[in-house]
Amino acid sequence: MFLIDRRQMLALAAWSAAATRAWADSPMNPQERELYEAAKREGEITWYTGQYSADASEAAGRAFNERYPGVRCNVVRSTSQVAFQRLSQDFRAGVGQCDVFSSTNGGHYVQLKRQNRLVKFRPVNADGLLPILRRPDPDDYFQSSFLGIYLMGHNTNMVSEAEAPRSWTDILDPKWKDKLAVGHPGYSGAIGLWALQMRTMYGPDYLRRFERNKPQVGRSSIDPVTMMTAGERAVGVAVPSASTLFAASRGNPLKLIYPTEGVIAAMSPSGIPTNAPHPNAAKLFQEFQTGPALSTAVRLLFNESIRPDVPPPEGSRPLDQVTMLAPSLEEAEKGVPEVREQWREIFGV
Amino acid sequence: MSDAALPAAQVVRPSRLRRLEPVTFLWIVLIAALLVLVAAPILKMVVISFEEQDTGVFTIQNYVTAYGRARYLEALRNSLMLGTLSAAISVVIAVPMAWAVSRTDMPGKGFTWATVLAAFIMPPYLGAIGWILLAGPNSGWINVAWRDLTGATAPLVNVYTFTGMAFVIALHSFPLVFIFVKSALDLISSEMEDAANILGGGTWVTMRRVTLPLVWPSIMGGFILIFLETIALFGTPAIIGIPARINVVTTQLWQFFEDPVRVEVAAAFAIPLLLVTIALIAVQKLLLARKGFVSQTGKGGERRQIKLGPWRWVLFAWCFAVAMLSVGKPLTVLLQASFAKAWGRGFSFDNLTLRNYQFLLFEHDMAPQAVWNTVWFSGASATIAVVLALLVAYIVVRRLMRFADALGFLAMAPFVIPGIVMAIGFYAAYAGPPLSLYGSALLIILAFASRFLPIAYASSQAAIRAVHPEMEEAARILGSGRLHAIRKVTAPLLKTSLLGGWLVVFIVASRELSAAIFLVGPRTRTMSVLLYDLTEQGNFEVVSAFGGILLVITLAIVGIGMKLVGRDFMLRRE
Repeated sequence: MFLIDRRQMLALAAWSAAATRAWADSPMNPQERELYEAAKREGEITWYTGQYSADASEAAGRAFNERYPGVRCNVVRSTSQVAFQRLSQDFRAGVGQCDVFSSTNGGHYVQLKRQNRLVKFRPVNADGLLPILRRPDPDDYFQSSFLGIYLMGHNTNMVSEAEAPRSWTDILDPKWKDKLAVGHPGYSGAIGLWALQMRTMYGPDYLRRFERNKPQVGRSSIDPVTMMTAGERAVGVAVPSASTLFAASRGNPLKLIYPTEGVIAAMSPSGIPTNAPHPNAAKLFQEFQTGPALSTAVRLLFNESIRPDVPPPEGSRPLDQVTMLAPSLEEAEKGVPEVREQWREIFGV
Repeated sequence: MSDAALPAAQVVRPSRLRRLEPVTFLWIVLIAALLVLVAAPILKMVVISFEEQDTGVFTIQNYVTAYGRARYLEALRNSLMLGTLSAAISVVIAVPMAWAVSRTDMPGKGFTWATVLAAFIMPPYLGAIGWILLAGPNSGWINVAWRDLTGATAPLVNVYTFTGMAFVIALHSFPLVFIFVKSALDLISSEMEDAANILGGGTWVTMRRVTLPLVWPSIMGGFILIFLETIALFGTPAIIGIPARINVVTTQLWQFFEDPVRVEVAAAFAIPLLLVTIALIAVQKLLLARKGFVSQTGKGGERRQIKLGPWRWVLFAWCFAVAMLSVGKPLTVLLQASFAKAWGRGFSFDNLTLRNYQFLLFEHDMAPQAVWNTVWFSGASATIAVVLALLVAYIVVRRLMRFADALGFLAMAPFVIPGIVMAIGFYAAYAGPPLSLYGSALLIILAFASRFLPIAYASSQAAIRAVHPEMEEAARILGSGRLHAIRKVTAPLLKTSLLGGWLVVFIVASRELSAAIFLVGPRTRTMSVLLYDLTEQGNFEVVSAFGGILLVITLAIVGIGMKLVGRDFMLRRE
């Protein structure tokens, strides 16, 4: 099992190293080239992101540096709500520090757009995205940069595949008491979306019943993956497929569970704040994110490709075979702060 | 008449000139610096707690919001209980150790000292992560071993509980009690214990009825300090408290900084923390004021070690257990995790990797920058704090100005301000216009300098007191000006203790989290903040590796300190 995985990994790495080089060298479109020249004068771009994991964000930053020598990407990775908190602190202090803001909670963009805090810009590369991601905002104030699949996972040594929960309501069964782990909607944007989706589907009582099983609460949606790997908890709830597959590829006994109702799909955009200190580099970064170079870099760490011309990652189910559940951006803007507050009343933290 | 008036005028003029000597300007500069560093942030915080956001209109709504919810009050109650419990555990841990080292013939005193020092320099959030690896209810090493040995299903220890968290905090706070109590015990002469022995009291009774009551004020002093440190702690409550579902004041303050950023409400919520601290420091002052006549008689007195017989091994076992729990075990598991592919798989060759270190040092965009930030912010703030503290202490100790004591008061004031409260004050005062320092290195350096000014001040004050003015006066009689005399005579005499003060400030600044958390920008993250960001994902292997790098840097600094200043420079009580 371990051997096969490793061989797969090696093959994959060889293939993707070649592919990465190819994409790093792939020609820039005219707008991109123009932005690159302007961005070189600015020298850097600061990226607040909560979308890809720490490893994948760093890989994306390196891919950007490789593709555009002379422009440096500063990766500031945290959970999405914390990234948004930092952006809000920047606005409150009147100090622009962030060039591109990437959050899993799409509601943030509706709010920022309404507050006139986003720059209107459409990267040319956005035309090549998956059809569902092509135009998240008809007015082009933000662009898709992430498609995250959030589902369940289990430690196969602790729970066999036959026993494992199959649906989002299975985990409410008291037999899962003290066996679950989950992130926190006050930190993770994706957990906010998940909690909102559960409330929409199963009513306000869902979280209360979920709490009775005493899930271990972390901060990031990735935290439960560590808890499963360690054997601290058997089942991770609303974990990202990418981090789970990555941990499994390192020899940990983890397996994905695709809940019968469907997975939570965070189709999340990125935007440029109006007070961005490096506006051209920011636009260039948007071209990078919507272009093939980003998808090529992050798929190595098992993240979904957001373009049809870059193949999906190994080991995850093709997107056309899964039901994707997601609150709309408008629902997220209103609903996520609400469920976050309810969560805190129910869980105490 | 006119002949007599002329000499008089001549006498007056030089004396006026003397009043305008540089020390007056220095005094003005110092007052300005202290106002910027200490008074302005705190005043600003108090003021905005009564202001409406955006309009600045007077309101008490912030207080209504801050205390209008059961959950917020619960956080306040949790903080007070956590502080009390951690302080109590620390006293239980540290008092026997201090007594053993100071009064008895227990073996391994050097080892015990090393333990105290190591527990002191280990950042509390690293200890917290170590204890998650040790005492996680299912995967913790202690619980795994316990299950293997006994076949039990229930865990032996659980870090994700109120007592678990208090215990972990105490394991890194007890050195404060130890230092306080030991230095008080060192002053008690054996005569008092002899008197008790002669009247028929055995070692145990004497210790309980005579020795300990004599150092009671020091125990209380240490208790209060740990209480205050604990209620201001941010890292451990965020890392352990969230899974344990315990909300405390500091984590609640963090929530007030969520969008929309409610600095005003956070300020209102932080005010009681400030009041509790001031009240307790006042209590501590009262208690310590009595110290003068309980133990120091002014006579030399003989100090002999109490012979404990076999009991000395019991005491040593206690010290050894504390060493294992506070340093040995957490450090072992952190090291293991930092070199592991997956820490849950334990010690084995195929689990070994350097990848975590490689990722941080060569692939991570921010980690090397954070290391550099930490070193230079700590260095700069330690320099500012020590220079400022030295000048203030000089003016205060030598009574050069009429209002010198006001300077001393301002320099000590940050002592009563929890770090996170200080950060909110700095954010409110300097983050936005007109200075717009948010995200700049200067903001963090100033905040650190301000926060640790009291440490530098206390050590400078003690050092200057130890230098008799005669030596300076001699220089001045020979014609040198005051500043010249300070530079050529006083400063060289103070060099060692100043360096000691500088190093202590450097070390505490290099691990500071709560004062940095609201002030860092993308390019100014320190190691502690980046470490906190890394713990979000629960990726303990990388987190441990980063902790390892932080410890190596700290140890290097401590090593330099020991070489230059003397082995006990961190633990001297000044």
